[in-house]
Amino acid sequence: MNAPTPVVVTGVGTVNALAGDAPAFAKALRDGRCGIGLAAPFGETQGQWVAAPLAGFDWREAIGRHEGSLPECVTRARKVLRNNTPSARLSAAAAFEAVRQARLVQDGFAPERVGVVVAGSNLHQQLAWDGARRREAGGTVDPRYGLNFLDSGQVGSLGEIFGLRGLGYSVGAASASGQMALFQAWHWLRSGVLDACLVVGASMDLSPLELEGFALLGALGGDGYAERPEQACRPFDRDHRGFIWGQGSGALVLERQDLAAARGVPSLGEIRSAAIAMDGNHLPDSSLDGEVRAMRDALAAAGLGAADIDYVNAHGTSTPLGDRTECAALRAVLGERAAAVWVNSTKSLIGHCLSAAGVIEAIACLLQLNGGFLHPNLNLLAPIDSELRFVGRQAVAGTFSTALSNGFGFGGFNGSLVLGRGQD
Amino acid sequence: MSSSDSESRMSGSEQQVFEIVRSKVLEVLEDLDPLQVTPERSLLELGANSLDRVEVAMLAMEELELRIAPSELAGVANLRELSRVLAQHLDAR
Repeated sequence: MNAPTPVVVTGVGTVNALAGDAPAFAKALRDGRCGIGLAAPFGETQGQWVAAPLAGFDWREAIGRHEGSLPECVTRARKVLRNNTPSARLSAAAAFEAVRQARLVQDGFAPERVGVVVAGSNLHQQLAWDGARRREAGGTVDPRYGLNFLDSGQVGSLGEIFGLRGLGYSVGAASASGQMALFQAWHWLRSGVLDACLVVGASMDLSPLELEGFALLGALGGDGYAERPEQACRPFDRDHRGFIWGQGSGALVLERQDLAAARGVPSLGEIRSAAIAMDGNHLPDSSLDGEVRAMRDALAAAGLGAADIDYVNAHGTSTPLGDRTECAALRAVLGERAAAVWVNSTKSLIGHCLSAAGVIEAIACLLQLNGGFLHPNLNLLAPIDSELRFVGRQAVAGTFSTALSNGFGFGGFNGSLVLGRGQD
Repeated sequence: MSSSDSESRMSGSEQQVFEIVRSKVLEVLEDLDPLQVTPERSLLELGANSLDRVEVAMLAMEELELRIAPSELAGVANLRELSRVLAQHLDAR
């Protein structure tokens, strides 16, 4: 039996608190900029929150940039997105960048062979919040609500914009949704069901209800940091007190390596493997066993060992239990290599993008591997672990070939990806 | 007088409502040539999808401060009939 074909990444795109596209994101990572501040995402009446919101995102402008190369997609997008949700518009903006770079549409890739997987569930909570308040005030239900509250609606929207007609669905695995979506797409390509797949990490449009819910669970940080919000997110630091919400989306085009090579599209990196391990636990608690299994399964699926890993993009949310558990898991998996393998958490720069985090962080891995640098850990002054090799306050330069990227979600989801550097 | 003549005449209030409907059509279907939006045209003919059609009706109702059950609007064949139903509800209020 032939070995499954390798799966490469031929397009990436992102919009987040630091950047409106992938090249700007690469620069912001290298510079170690922080996108976290004090914001009023639900209007001034709902108070201020420490968060990493998007600054001045204009979907018409973001889509309009692609008019020259993807005119028909842009025309359809204007129509599809006009009636759509903030999260869907953000997904589309990231997807435009990735699809354009991968030249899927320009090269006339068979649409029935291209899938769409949207990472994330409960994406439109703010719509429900707004709708309930509007109804309470005697208003009518937004005519778009019946369509727009559906997470899976984003699959249809992206499919219509880019004319993709292979399989498609949305996947929910809380903060491991991105890893889950990439796990799914990777398998579809390896098994030959699809030739290419657009994977989009969708932004969760939260309302004050969800943030207060997270706060009650003790998971949300930011309390006491109103005067210095940029210091609130401190993964693996002794003063870590909870995660900081970030807005953002990310998109990757995955493709069979042989087809990408035949088209002459450069590989931006390889998805070497993806693994998911469940804890069998409905609570938010992290599990050492589950995290270790996910990482070991991912390494085994890639045919690699700890010796082959140069860098770990940690889940690292800045919650005390989560950070401690991940440190223990990394020590267990890396063994003697713990002192040699670099570790950072992108969340200290762009916050926790929840359902989009795994996809955005996979992009961060590729940008770093290809750019020959690893971004700093912000606010990591007193590490809780002395054995692991955390990147400090400055970026590290070097040659890094293989990364492990973790994502762990409430409800016992543990996801791990192994990513390889792109073509030189 | 043929029946189509009587149907094509609009009362003053219908005409006013039509102007509101027309502005909502142009708001929802923003690429449309304004000259295309005449009372005889249906939303379907103008390129509105199912969501656009509901939105036009809702936006017009919002502006007129009316609430009409969707079933009452289900049978309207064109913008004139839509304006007529809306105007009748306005008059009845």
